[in-house]
Amino acid sequence: MMKLSRFAYLALSALTAIVFILLYGPLLVPIASSFFEVAHGNVQWDMPSLSAYAALVHNEGIITAFLNTLIVGFCATFLSMVLGILFAIHYRNGTSPGRELMQFVIFLPFLMPPIMIGLALLIFFRETDISRSLLTVIIGHTVFVLALAYRTIVVRLKSLSASFIEASYDLGASSWQTFFYVVLPSLKSALIGSAVLCFALSFDETMITILVTGTDNTLPIRLWAMMRLGFTPDINALLALILALTTAMCILAVRYLLPTESADNAA
Amino acid sequence: MLLVGDQHARGWRFALSTLANGLPFVFIIAPLLSFVVYSFFWVEGGQMHFDLTLRNYTRFFTDAIFVPVLCQTCLLCLMVSVFAVLLGYPVAFLLATLSARRKYMLLMLVLVPLLMSYIIKIYAIRSILGGNGFLNRFLLWAQLIDQPLTIFVFNLNAVLLTLTMLLIPFAILPIFLSLERIPKSLIEASIDLGASNWQTFCRVILPLSLPGVVTAASFVFVLAIGDFLTPQMVGGPSGFTFGRIIYSQFGSAFNWPFGAALSVILALVMIVVIALGNRFERRT
Repeated sequence: MMKLSRFAYLALSALTAIVFILLYGPLLVPIASSFFEVAHGNVQWDMPSLSAYAALVHNEGIITAFLNTLIVGFCATFLSMVLGILFAIHYRNGTSPGRELMQFVIFLPFLMPPIMIGLALLIFFRETDISRSLLTVIIGHTVFVLALAYRTIVVRLKSLSASFIEASYDLGASSWQTFFYVVLPSLKSALIGSAVLCFALSFDETMITILVTGTDNTLPIRLWAMMRLGFTPDINALLALILALTTAMCILAVRYLLPTESADNAA
Repeated sequence: MLLVGDQHARGWRFALSTLANGLPFVFIIAPLLSFVVYSFFWVEGGQMHFDLTLRNYTRFFTDAIFVPVLCQTCLLCLMVSVFAVLLGYPVAFLLATLSARRKYMLLMLVLVPLLMSYIIKIYAIRSILGGNGFLNRFLLWAQLIDQPLTIFVFNLNAVLLTLTMLLIPFAILPIFLSLERIPKSLIEASIDLGASNWQTFCRVILPLSLPGVVTAASFVFVLAIGDFLTPQMVGGPSGFTFGRIIYSQFGSAFNWPFGAALSVILALVMIVVIALGNRFERRT
């Protein structure tokens, strides 16, 4: 890119600052108020306290919902990793037109709006008499995040040179040995990065979940239900914790998915 | 490739291809098909009839409310994508001019809000915009207004603003990627031939980044039109969108076939938008 004049640089920075206020502003107010006492619905800005965090520990509805979210997140991530690897290997094993179609079908839930995937699954579960529970939520999330996992894995697998695998066979390794000693290690960073992203997506998935969930709530659904009544101060504390957690996960994902500094300079 | 040359792995290979073709069929194709089939069923007096008719679709076109709401929703989402692109372009441009290290730092900061609780963001925006919210109190305190503003309370403006705030990152990313793809040599050539920075931007960079802008706009449009929770939360009674109507068919109205038909129509609108975007992208 070209070298910017001082004025252009300042103007762009100012516009960027406005966008960042729009992005982060809405989150700052509740996070800041989580560290202060709340009395009669008003935040007491002169009384710093951690009582919101203490109250959070005793809010059982929230804790159950949080645990449910973790269960769903881990299961959906694990399933989409395993299936992503299997489907990617299948895709690379041949060139029949059926594979292209299969790949398109896997991408569909990511391309279509969540309301349709949610409704389609809802109707499907009703027709097949699967009662709605955490299991249906896990299926819904897996269908949704699999597209992302598959995409990352298949791209990495494409960049893996076939000669590595041939070399492994020539040296007498079986298919399993080749998979565990050659293919899997080369997929490692793609797997970690996409696992983090899948988990993060599942953690906040709301629109599919709200349609396919039964009586077990995940965190976003619980929050959605609470929102009609207004939030108690401990929700602010929860928000601060979630922000810290997601930022950490995002840093991890960036570390493993984006090109490293040296690769960037070489290109 | 893996498992291909190995005679012992024939069984595994078969299992793999069954799985890879079967699972997407059962969990993606079958639900979508049953969804489309449902849109041809009909409901009368709380009773579902399982014979195929077109009456859901004729109801959509003959009833006076649905077509205007769809048009209004499309207009709203179009405005959301225009705003998101206008706000996102400068950020993407700044990102593209930064050095590698600062670039990825800033990019990460753009993407982090996407992973943060969507519900809490809507709630926070709602409480900031509300009649007694942060924005009004600030404006009153600064004596810019003497009555609390109501233009952003429970109406389509609030939906527009909230969706824009939520979806800006989706606009920044494609524009940034298209700016990154512009060959440096073209920009250098333009500067060597005596063009000013502004001329280089207008004649070289902007035209070359348009495909990214179109991708960004169609991306934001599709995400905005599929969202039914945001309008439900900040739209109030007047901020009715198509997504809300669909959702209500599965909740209070309990007319699943009609809701499915409306979703099929929504899908057609989105396919048209994506196809238009692709066509434009290929032409430029």
